[in-house]
Amino acid sequence: MRYSFYPGCSMEGAAVPYLKSFEAVTKALGIGIEEIHDWNCCGATVASGVVGHYPAQVMTARNLALAEQKGLDIIVPCSSCYMNLAITNKKFIEDDHFQLMANEALGVAGLRYNGTLKVRQMIEWIINDIGLDRIKSMVKRPLTGLRVAGYVGCQTPRVFPWTFDDPEQPVFFDKIIEALGATPVKFPLKARCCGSSHSITKPEITIDAGYKLIKSALEDGGQLMVTPCPMCQLNLDAYQGMIKKGYQLDISIPVLFITQLMSIAFDLPPDTWALKYNIVSPFDTLSKYGIKP
Amino acid sequence: MTDLNVSSEPVKYNPDFAKEIYALESGEHVKLCMQCGMCALSCATREEMDYSPRKLFLLMRVGKREEFFKANTMWMCSTCLMCKVRCPRGIPLADVMHDLKSHAIKLGYTERPQATFYQSFWQEILNKGRVFEGGLMARYYLKRGWSEMTKGLFEMRDLGMTMLKHNRMPLKSPKSIKGLKSMKQIIERAQAQMHREEGR
Repeated sequence: MRYSFYPGCSMEGAAVPYLKSFEAVTKALGIGIEEIHDWNCCGATVASGVVGHYPAQVMTARNLALAEQKGLDIIVPCSSCYMNLAITNKKFIEDDHFQLMANEALGVAGLRYNGTLKVRQMIEWIINDIGLDRIKSMVKRPLTGLRVAGYVGCQTPRVFPWTFDDPEQPVFFDKIIEALGATPVKFPLKARCCGSSHSITKPEITIDAGYKLIKSALEDGGQLMVTPCPMCQLNLDAYQGMIKKGYQLDISIPVLFITQLMSIAFDLPPDTWALKYNIVSPFDTLSKYGIKP
Repeated sequence: MTDLNVSSEPVKYNPDFAKEIYALESGEHVKLCMQCGMCALSCATREEMDYSPRKLFLLMRVGKREEFFKANTMWMCSTCLMCKVRCPRGIPLADVMHDLKSHAIKLGYTERPQATFYQSFWQEILNKGRVFEGGLMARYYLKRGWSEMTKGLFEMRDLGMTMLKHNRMPLKSPKSIKGLKSMKQIIERAQAQMHREEGR
């Protein structure tokens, strides 16, 4: 299996542990991953709010055009990047007028996109293409007894509701946790918003959202949170100190990227767990499984 | 008994403002709003909003333009998409909120920190083709001014230190993408196309 890969800006910054563990896990699975050459920002949830949807989507389409030159479907781990790439791709496939116009704009740089690729969300791709049996067969360090709150986040299941999961109470993500030998806990807020970029402009929103999420994760005995979203991970990990202080919470809960947990369960080299980047230390929770700093 | 406090004069609606909103990219859908309030119920940041999306659309219908754009509603939207998923009329509310953000910026309603953040983010994209978090923060605080910068830096100092300690905040900006010039040309052309379409 070979795929194109769109890392997105986060993976070059705050989400470095995501990149490191994602690369290691795909390599261990024998999947060829090619980063889209010279990719640009997808626009996140911001570009359309400044210049409008159309110019933002055309900007995103530059990535699709670059990827099409290799002819490989695109894997996207980040939720916002997935949203923008997948929606833009759908427009190319379904809207002839959009395709015509967007290709005229791309043509300025000698680019063109014919809509021949699929944009795949990483979780859906892991389950449908790689398969849970394959994941199970890779597990060398079963995380038996570890109670994990699977925080899917908001955009991942809601970009195209019901195409691969329930937009409000998704179940796909828990299946991956289960395949690693861990126990997914009941986590009613698993698709609730983390506060997104309000963490900068109005941190109270992120702190309040974080508290609700952590409380929900702890209620059914969650010991660890995992997420596929760079924004969710950052808000819950980096702001946890402020959440605990603001709400007099005396329990911490480590927040890992799903690929970090996969790398641990596959027993890949410790540097690919990338745990030194985690702000809330996961070592107390994971020492039982032989995970040490 | 007749309530004498209620004016007998009919309320004057101004339909022109609604037309202005309907003309936005996803604006056409707003016509379908039946005021059910599902968006308000579903919104993760409803408590922070001056008006729920439902009420905002009502303001639009009665033509309260100034009140509409001064409301923080669109700026509180975090694009969690729950409203878009649930709206029984299929209004892509999160997309509408984005239209309203860009329209508000165009009209000069840029005083909110979220508007500054959005503009800084966009500048950061145009600068290198990718967003460098350190650069984004610098742009944001420079635009917000000295007092907010010192307040922000004070409140966030522990967070910043922790992130540095865990290598989560690279201080060195990555290089520009090679195709930066062509990316900008593509965007410019797309913007020109959009203006042309709007002019029709």
